[in-house]
Amino acid sequence: MYILPRNQVPALTAALAEDYDLYGPVLRPGGGDPMFERAADPAAIRMDAAISYNPPKSAVFPQAERILSYRYDRESREAVLVRDDLVRPKALVGIRACDLTGLLCLDRFYLGQEYVDEVYRDHRKKMFIVANTCVRPFPQCFCVCTDSGPAPREGFDVALTGVGDDYLFETGSEKGEALARKLGLKEAGPDAAALKAKTVDESIARFDAEATENKAWISRVMNRITMGFIGNDVWEYIGDQCFECGACSFVCPTCSCFNIEDVNTREGGTDRMRSWDSCSFEGYTRMAGDHNPRKPVEDRRNKRFFCKLSFSQSKKYLRPGCVGCGRCARVCPGDIGLPNVVTYIRREITKAGAK
Amino acid sequence: MSTHTGVCNFCGTGCGHLLEVGDGAVRGVFASPGHPVSRGRLCVRGWHIHELLATEDRIVAPQLPRACGRLDAVSYEEAIGAAAERLSRYSGDEIAFLASPRASNEDNYLMAKLARTVFRSPNIGLASDQGHADAADVLLEGAGIPAMLGALTEIRKAGLILVVGADIAKLNPIVGSEIHYAARGGAGLVTLSPRSTQIAKLSGTHLWTRPGTLRLALAAVAKVLVEHGWQDESFLRDRTEGFADFARYLSGLDLETLTSAAGLAPAEIEDLALRLSRAPSAMAFFSSGISGLDRASVALLFDLFLAAGKIGREGSGVNPITGICNIVGSYDVGASNLFLPGPRRAEGPAAGRTPRQLLAVSPSPLKALVVADRDEEIVRHADKIKGLECVVYVGAYDNPFVDFAHIVLPAASSAEADGTYTNAERRIQLNRRKVDPPAGVLPAWRIYADIAARLGASWAYTSSESVMGEIASAVPSYAGVTYAKLEKGHGLQWPCDARHADGTVRLDAGDAGRKLRFVAAGSDFPVPAASADFPFLLMAGKATYFWHRNNIMKKTQIPKREYNALLLLYPRGFVEIAPADAKTLGVRDRAPVNVVAAGGSMRVAVRISGDVKPGTVYVPYFIEDMVPGFLNAAGTSIDEDQDSTIPVRIEKV
Amino acid sequence: MSGSNAGAIVTVPEIAVIDEVREEIEDVRTFFFSFEKPEIAKSFRIKSGQFVMCTVFGAGEFAVSLPFSPEGDRPHLSVRQVGKVTRALHELKAGDKIGLRGPFGNGFPFEAIRGKNVIYVAGGIGLIPLRSSIVHVLQHRQDFGRILLIYGSKSSQELMYRDMIAKWQATEGFETYITIDRPEPGWKGQVGFVHTLVGPAKVPVENTIAFVCGPPLMFNSVIKELLAAGLKDDAIVSTLERHMKCGIGKCQHCAIGRTLVCTDGPVYTYRQITTLGEQI
Repeated sequence: MYILPRNQVPALTAALAEDYDLYGPVLRPGGGDPMFERAADPAAIRMDAAISYNPPKSAVFPQAERILSYRYDRESREAVLVRDDLVRPKALVGIRACDLTGLLCLDRFYLGQEYVDEVYRDHRKKMFIVANTCVRPFPQCFCVCTDSGPAPREGFDVALTGVGDDYLFETGSEKGEALARKLGLKEAGPDAAALKAKTVDESIARFDAEATENKAWISRVMNRITMGFIGNDVWEYIGDQCFECGACSFVCPTCSCFNIEDVNTREGGTDRMRSWDSCSFEGYTRMAGDHNPRKPVEDRRNKRFFCKLSFSQSKKYLRPGCVGCGRCARVCPGDIGLPNVVTYIRREITKAGAK
Repeated sequence: MSTHTGVCNFCGTGCGHLLEVGDGAVRGVFASPGHPVSRGRLCVRGWHIHELLATEDRIVAPQLPRACGRLDAVSYEEAIGAAAERLSRYSGDEIAFLASPRASNEDNYLMAKLARTVFRSPNIGLASDQGHADAADVLLEGAGIPAMLGALTEIRKAGLILVVGADIAKLNPIVGSEIHYAARGGAGLVTLSPRSTQIAKLSGTHLWTRPGTLRLALAAVAKVLVEHGWQDESFLRDRTEGFADFARYLSGLDLETLTSAAGLAPAEIEDLALRLSRAPSAMAFFSSGISGLDRASVALLFDLFLAAGKIGREGSGVNPITGICNIVGSYDVGASNLFLPGPRRAEGPAAGRTPRQLLAVSPSPLKALVVADRDEEIVRHADKIKGLECVVYVGAYDNPFVDFAHIVLPAASSAEADGTYTNAERRIQLNRRKVDPPAGVLPAWRIYADIAARLGASWAYTSSESVMGEIASAVPSYAGVTYAKLEKGHGLQWPCDARHADGTVRLDAGDAGRKLRFVAAGSDFPVPAASADFPFLLMAGKATYFWHRNNIMKKTQIPKREYNALLLLYPRGFVEIAPADAKTLGVRDRAPVNVVAAGGSMRVAVRISGDVKPGTVYVPYFIEDMVPGFLNAAGTSIDEDQDSTIPVRIEKV
Repeated sequence: MSGSNAGAIVTVPEIAVIDEVREEIEDVRTFFFSFEKPEIAKSFRIKSGQFVMCTVFGAGEFAVSLPFSPEGDRPHLSVRQVGKVTRALHELKAGDKIGLRGPFGNGFPFEAIRGKNVIYVAGGIGLIPLRSSIVHVLQHRQDFGRILLIYGSKSSQELMYRDMIAKWQATEGFETYITIDRPEPGWKGQVGFVHTLVGPAKVPVENTIAFVCGPPLMFNSVIKELLAAGLKDDAIVSTLERHMKCGIGKCQHCAIGRTLVCTDGPVYTYRQITTLGEQI
């Protein structure tokens, strides 16, 4: 472990900017939460900013992108396909433990299983990750319920933990070590590990008083969801409040569903676009010929929370599908983010138990 | 890639968003967490505006007709010259202008100025705006503000919220969301509607009226309120005038008749009246257009809330909701034939006629039409428009209307030009240019200025900001507006003038400078009646994805897919029928039926739904056959897009 | 998990030429194809029951089962035009090109069912995906017990593969039961729904596997008959259809409960189907 004085953060981002496109929390004019986005100016990245309103996953899973283009001339019968080169070195600076956990879930899902998703792999190569331990929770947080914070455990090149005027600079890879050397950082003393542990414990202790927006006692509900023992009336109650906007999927660090659409250009070619999709939408499962196996909105809500919380789905991530970032609760027009859904289900379980 | 603050350009909520721009094009969108109205939310449309803004399905070159009626690309100068020269042959009722409620204030202001001062024609209109004009009229007369009296940012402060008729969770989802959050926070939520909409399902109380009787229900509530003495006496005394006449008017109404004709129980009416009286604050929401309220109904709603003391206070107000992003602004800057810039009512010769009204005259005097970004009119009047001598189309997106045009002029999209848009709560918001338009394409306001220049007018606008400078002097409620002020926060709500330098969040009764006035509602209480020949009452309405022919939705991917999920299931549209009625008729879901009214018929598919009560049926206003073959034949009130209830019969095919 | 699909074309479609277009029943056409690149043609190995993602240039991509046997059978696709992309496909002629990714999916059991009796039950265009297994099994006739085909459509005009069926009907050791829903002038064969033939066919139930493919109503009634006859639910196999986009288990459009149809399926036993956690 090393010591990075807080006022040296611009030096860190500047050093990374030499080799990587920088992504990190950026404050916006006009107020509101920071956004995790590409920063042209290294100094714009604010390690002291609150959790970003959007998830960092856009850096590896953009909202909309072209993955290949083709041109087919029906006269000459000539077809040419060109795959887009999506590889760019990217540094994600200031990513929180919940979001990093989400990234690792995306890794296991996209890069593991039957096939490797080559598009994701291209985005994910050449990446440098600087994680930022949350020394205090934000009102929306519940990572302690989903075992995904407040300190990142793996997957980072550097993990920072703020203590006083400094950050404890923990390396997780050879690349992280190289950066410490490049910045000429002092080594931390022998009590650094204990100091970090103490800081994390204090952060956890603050959840009760400060992370007050969402109380999601998830584990009790996971079993119920896995076994499918939740009445349809609960899903209908939740479904009535769904505005079918898709935002929960867009802001979720572990959501990975996408749509592919071939879009014709004015100059006669075609772009194959890959973009965020959501199982919230009615058209998501609709087949040509009109059969739609998951049409009612309550079935779609059921599916979403099955995906996030059931044990069988956690196989694909090796952990629950929810990382406790709280974003779905903030962005939902119907106020049915995951924490509230868990509450409704627990209420149902309690009622059923009382019978 | 960089992100830029902006305003969504779809419905009248005016949500804030962040557009991602890369390589000269819009690449993505995110909800803006800091926006005071949308607070970090968007609906499915707003979440996919980047698909529309990046579409290549654009009009990119000016076009003029050549041989065989085909249009050829020409230079901008040539097209402008041709437009000026050809249009100058017409005057008075020979020429009309169809403005777009989606265009910016700057665009619409100059289109109106072009019409009125260069062509000396008052015939500029938005077409489907009669409903909103009525609401604006009533609120102007009663309160001095021809738009929403409350504020969207105060919804969570309302003690009681009444939603009248509008399927608001689908029309303006984020407004629906605010209302839902308010209800979850303890506000009372009551929906008055002839159909079970999503907001009705989320309401603690749904007063399920018979179709076409909202006016009766509102009158009944007002009568009960006053009869019990539940009006706000001190408020009435200090802030209003005309209550005595209103009370007298109510005493002449028969409560039992009103209540039973509306299909409600006396206890329901009394409960609402009491709750409205007792609530510390209350808001009413309704929409205009085909599922909206007519003038008398708005007047009754306004009078009811005035009597209850729920106007001009925090968390209170009577709030018309607009379905398209700049309906309010279009009125403000004079793009409606019914209003001059202000807006103030246009009277006498200054009150022009809309293209629809001119085309409805037989024989029609109309020979030339200038259209901005529309697709609806061709559904209604395709043949008549084909017969016009000169049609000039101005727009950004490719559109079937182009096939009817003689001159086509491409315009910049909302992401390609600076422009202001005024949402339902009078919030004027600035959208800055974020990407370049296709080569040579100009903002619409420049096109109008260039046409004016060719015809001898010397307008010296250098930018859209300079157009706003003139709007600020022509429109009293915009007097204090500057781009700098708009950019400091999230726009400004008008009136923004000497007395309200930072705008006006909501009407404040103490600050109004006048007494609030009861508005006469009339004693006409028509009750649509079914008959043996026409045993069903048909209601028409709108939904999330459907705007007329949905031209812009078709340029997207996900919203278009969602639209198709419904449309392809019912390719010729659908009529919602209650399960019991479907059984009696012997029809299953998706079976084709003829919906027959006295004047016309249309063929659609059955959609069995518990959202309608037996004896009532519902059609969404997007079916092709519906407008020409059915609504047009059914009468003028439909033509003006009023709340429409038509007695029909359903025939198995 | 479906085992090795090591040679699959994953991300960028490979170009294939349409060699011949043949009309089948109404709205259904068969497209014979061959890969442009000889090395792809050589390495394109399939299992019966797999599918490909077919790109129609300018329109989009759709999932379509491979109806040809893995051995010595002319590669082709038989497609009904039902949506935007399949309608665009139907405009193509011999000489036009398409793009293909795959083969994907787990495929029908073959090795595992050697020695068994095999029953094929299909309705309408449901016979198309089963064709690959039927042809493959018949190519190794001696390795299997009784082989039955129970097949029906709404009308005789809607029966797929009339010529092949005639050949099959004449094949020794291949029992065929063909039916149409309603009587027709000139039709001398069976009349009645497909499931009504299960009983009269006296289907074997020991050491037997049944493949069922057809529209939902037919599927449910056939399953009922087969279970009633004594077949176990893990001895009945079907191929499921879902809206697909990536074909490689990433976009998740095809998810049903715990499973992804493109990688865990599309072939499932009936026992698996009933425990997927969602309605099919």
